[in-house]
Amino acid sequence: MDAGFHGKLDADQSESQISHLALDIGGTLIKLVYFSRNKDRPIDENKNSKNSVIDGRLHFAKFETSKINDCLEFILSNKLHLGGFRHHEDPASDKILIKATGGGAYRFADLIKEKLGVGIEKEEEMECLVAGANFLLKAVHQEAYTYMDGQKEFVHIDHNDLYPYLLVNIGSGVSMIKVDSDGQFERISGTSVGGGTFWGLGRLLTKCKSFDELLELSHQGNNRVIDMLVGDIYGGLDYSKIGLSSTTIASSFGKAISDNRELEEYNPEDIARSLLRMISNNIGQIAYLNALRFGLKRIFFGGFFIRSHAFTMDTISVAVNFWSKGEAKAMFLNHEGFLGALGAFMSYKKCGRDDSISPQLGQRYPVCTPLVGDKICYPLNGDLSDNDSLECSVYVA
Amino acid sequence: MAGLTEDPNPVLDIDGLLINQEHNNTQEDKSAVLGKDREENSSKNQNQAERDMASIHRSGSRPQLDLSKAAIEGNFEEKDPTILLPNQSDDISHLALDIGGSLIKLVYFSRHEGQSINDKRKKTLKERLGISNGTRRSYPILGGRLHFVKFETTKINECLDFIRSKQLHRGGMDSRHWNAEAPANENAVIKATGGGAFKFADLFKERLGVSLDKEDEMDCLVAGANFLLKAIRHEAFTHMEGRKEFVQIDHNDLFPYLLVNIGSGVSMIKVDGDGKFQRVSGTNVGGGTYWGLGRLLTKCKSFDELLELSQRGDNSTIDMLVGDIYGGMDYSKIGLSASTIASSFGKAISDNKELEDYSPEDISLSLLRMISYNIGQIAYLNALRFGLKRIFFGGFFIRGHAYTMDTISFAVHFWSKGDAQAMFLRHEGFLGALGAFMSYEKHGLDDLMVHQLVERFPMGAPYTGGKIHGPPLGDLNEKISWMEKFVLKGTEITAPVPMAPPPGTTGLGGFEVPSSKGGTLRSDASALNVGVLHLVPTLEVFPQLADPKMYEPNTIDLADHNELEYWFTVLSGHLPDLVDKAVASEGGTDDAKRRGDAFARAFSAHLSRLIEDPAAYGKLGLANLLELREECLREFQFHDAYRSIKQRENEASLAVLADLLAELDSMSEETRLLSLIEGVLAANIFDWGSRACVDLYHKGTIIEIYRMSRDKMQRPWRVDDFDLFKERMLGSGDKKPQPHKRALLFVDNSGADIVLGMLPLARELLRRGTEVVLVANSLPALNDVTAMEVPDIVAEAAKHCDILRRAAEAGSLLVDAMINPSDSSKENSSSVPLMVVENGCGSPCIDLRQVSSELAAAAKDADLIILEGMGRALHTNFNARFKCDVLKLAMVKNQRFVFSFLA
Repeated sequence: MDAGFHGKLDADQSESQISHLALDIGGTLIKLVYFSRNKDRPIDENKNSKNSVIDGRLHFAKFETSKINDCLEFILSNKLHLGGFRHHEDPASDKILIKATGGGAYRFADLIKEKLGVGIEKEEEMECLVAGANFLLKAVHQEAYTYMDGQKEFVHIDHNDLYPYLLVNIGSGVSMIKVDSDGQFERISGTSVGGGTFWGLGRLLTKCKSFDELLELSHQGNNRVIDMLVGDIYGGLDYSKIGLSSTTIASSFGKAISDNRELEEYNPEDIARSLLRMISNNIGQIAYLNALRFGLKRIFFGGFFIRSHAFTMDTISVAVNFWSKGEAKAMFLNHEGFLGALGAFMSYKKCGRDDSISPQLGQRYPVCTPLVGDKICYPLNGDLSDNDSLECSVYVA
Repeated sequence: MAGLTEDPNPVLDIDGLLINQEHNNTQEDKSAVLGKDREENSSKNQNQAERDMASIHRSGSRPQLDLSKAAIEGNFEEKDPTILLPNQSDDISHLALDIGGSLIKLVYFSRHEGQSINDKRKKTLKERLGISNGTRRSYPILGGRLHFVKFETTKINECLDFIRSKQLHRGGMDSRHWNAEAPANENAVIKATGGGAFKFADLFKERLGVSLDKEDEMDCLVAGANFLLKAIRHEAFTHMEGRKEFVQIDHNDLFPYLLVNIGSGVSMIKVDGDGKFQRVSGTNVGGGTYWGLGRLLTKCKSFDELLELSQRGDNSTIDMLVGDIYGGMDYSKIGLSASTIASSFGKAISDNKELEDYSPEDISLSLLRMISYNIGQIAYLNALRFGLKRIFFGGFFIRGHAYTMDTISFAVHFWSKGDAQAMFLRHEGFLGALGAFMSYEKHGLDDLMVHQLVERFPMGAPYTGGKIHGPPLGDLNEKISWMEKFVLKGTEITAPVPMAPPPGTTGLGGFEVPSSKGGTLRSDASALNVGVLHLVPTLEVFPQLADPKMYEPNTIDLADHNELEYWFTVLSGHLPDLVDKAVASEGGTDDAKRRGDAFARAFSAHLSRLIEDPAAYGKLGLANLLELREECLREFQFHDAYRSIKQRENEASLAVLADLLAELDSMSEETRLLSLIEGVLAANIFDWGSRACVDLYHKGTIIEIYRMSRDKMQRPWRVDDFDLFKERMLGSGDKKPQPHKRALLFVDNSGADIVLGMLPLARELLRRGTEVVLVANSLPALNDVTAMEVPDIVAEAAKHCDILRRAAEAGSLLVDAMINPSDSSKENSSSVPLMVVENGCGSPCIDLRQVSSELAAAAKDADLIILEGMGRALHTNFNARFKCDVLKLAMVKNQRFVFSFLA
């Protein structure tokens, strides 16, 4: 949509340095992960004989699924699609396959074939999510953090005491996955009230043009205008008998019933806020109940709904804190939107071929800062501003 | 006629042998029952009075009594001294309110003064049977009616008018301080709950002069739910794929359970016992969210309108389904089908459609499913957490709305993988009001047992449904006018639209897309009807039932739609004839005709309502349907439609009785026994409940028909245990068996049936030294003989037979009938008694879980039970098992029954 779409990556990134593109094509967003070799750091031959190590950067980028053509354009113009692999069962074929996950990997396979001339190797979504999360939690310092009252606090997680945990992936819908070890996991629950609900209902109610705009609005809103609070029912009093304070939401959107106000008479900000609180709170509650059910100590929330949005994290944290009476804490991941894409990226190792780099990501050098990195992809509409990259090394088998 | 002569199918069935010889010893009670001892101690007399008052008349039961300053009036020598209760008001009624944001729910109690048939026969019977009036309750249960009424909160003035017109506010205080003569005063207090109890307190004060005593909402909810689940047999039901199924809950295994109350928000309460509960969870996504968001998104003007819209919606236009993400394929790896909702409202994000471009129907359905599923999921997770087996959902969000219940049930089923079931309550809207009612210090419902409650559906039920109550109907005339007004509406009630095929499996965010293309869902007529609860303290469980918990009176379950349609047709076909008889019984006046029309309309409306939703009035069996018809007749003041027919037939039969008895006496014992049984079966042909028999009546005289039928009795009968019976009666070889001690004969029709069938059999038993208790209806039903009528028939028969006369005298039956009262004393000892008890019913069938206390008392010492007639032996109790010998005798006058149950 934006004419300012850049045609090329930085000049020093030649095609040969790009390797391994993986996609996560969701209902709402397309997430890209790809690796670029650091030009100034050639393959480290000093490593043990078995593996050579390539240092480079792992890049993260997002597009709206509805604008998939922009995304394909981006891939094409940067020759990212060449970072796939050749089918090992058919070496004669020059067909390049790209790892992809998400529902769109099925839906857009033909389009991608047509536009990019590459095939899609579909990776199972849940596996990718879990692989991505396991990788991040084990390999990246300061990946997990809690967020309460505006305070972000990184949590150090002992690799040996990571499992089992609950991974709550909030995409359009919500999946709740119990992860028991590397590659061992089970989807135990979920809810259809997720990011798609926030955005979908939000669009209908506020005429917002984008998810981020809606989030932005929610920041300025006051949910008391629309939500029925305990105090509204009990004449401003707490319902102390059952431990509900007067500011507890008794009924989301409950005030909209008795007023004679129409939709137009409510502030979009207030609506966005009520909606966000409703959905965050609900997800937090269901996640906590599931963690309780399986005796899981840690709950990690991920998925594009969160987007490091402070208020979203806050409401989820409050919900978990409230329902667990302070016993459980919600945790978030720095790279929460890219779990699937990262997992798909990781899956290249499964089809190792000598003629292609089959990376094993490892944190050879600690990531300098969590969110540093060259901005290699300029968001198409200015909204997707949180693309980043991660410095890392690739072991070449 | 044809059906009759071709296949009379008489049935004789002997169930088992004596199983239980243990009878509760009621000796202590026996002596103290009648209050005739000249005890000077007045407090003892008070207790006595209290116990007397609390029991025994079926419909004329007494209200809670204020015994302060009670004193015995007059001469202590008198047999039944009057007890003066100066502080006792005549019209005690309690009213309790639940004033919610959208609805006001009223529960009120009205004492019902029925005619008490307290004649001498009864007194003697009480003595003889040792009926205990004793009650160990702290407060006696009131006999009367518990009414449930709703008003919209916005129409609170109508509600206030209603209360005033019925004077409900005057009885709402503790009766101890109540003086009926005084005007409403400062102390008048009504128990109320719900947010409006605060908001409208001043209005009540101003308009009615009463204060509202606010009760905690949660306390009320739980108390109401506990009461309903314990006191009403078919209160809880499951609702899957449009089908209700009532669940009988063992009272001893009720707790703990999860009560999910869906109001504006949702509270989840773990209930551990009476008054023991904890709010364990909840969610802010509730009914207020549905209605609030729905209003903003659809411009609906009311909650019901929004619900209505959802019926015609298709949520796949708005919800993102698994198939939308996976290109129409299932995500089979995790068991999610393509039509599973992945993200509620998820499609609204990518489309370029604006709010206006979506149909309000689709929006409403998406919203409903989102919220219902979510509540179901959170409720299940909480039940799991606390190990609760049962989840009951209630609150205004549900409102008997079929699709809402389905979605919640589906969610619970889905998330629990079928382990848990969502249950709903028929009175769900009234939990709070009922709980507030229970908060009166002396509400009298404490120890109420299931068998003491009878639910009746008054004439308005088919129209009011679960909806708002109409205007208060004062008298019969208003009722009739109201019926007339609804004639048009009545014709609108049509057969149900079949439910779309059930949805399959579900998943991710959760759920299968509903099969909700416009029109395929049934119109939401499923709002359940809530009847009036009649509290009848004198009803008891028939003590000879082998397993009262497993007992189900109905042989025919009308949940089977074919059965229902068949009976619908039968009863509709009967209707004109019945109306003619009813009108004639009231002298055929214009007034009677008008009432007859209104009755026909009202009963047709009941039938239409029930064919539309067989579960509308609770679990529906044939007995309920037949009783409903009788109740409906009574409601329009047709107290005995067959009165003159019964009289005529009794007279005709009595005229030939002497000849019949002479004929029987000439037979050998063995032949006589067979002839007697054949006679009962033959006489059972005379039945105005059967179309075939009605036709028959035009073809001959009673004795002709009787003889003809008896001659046609060729054994073996369709069910024939006669040989067993004969052996028990006459023994085999030299062994002469002990005669039965006491036989209960449940009689059926007037005329030949009792006179030529049952009386000769009774006479035979008496002759063998068995006490006989004739058990007859308390109230008329069709041409069934009533307990009031039996003594006269016996007295008349006694003129022709010494055995009957002496037994009737021994049973004091002839005192009332004024036959030689002076002789009775000297011959008492020479015969076992013949007695008559009322059964507590006014129906052609009998539910043995709810019988009169005098029948229960008589049954304790009985060792032979004879059930006669289709209504009591086949349509009900065909499968019943008893602790003692039982004979079920009936002439099957219905081919269908033969094929279904006797094949």
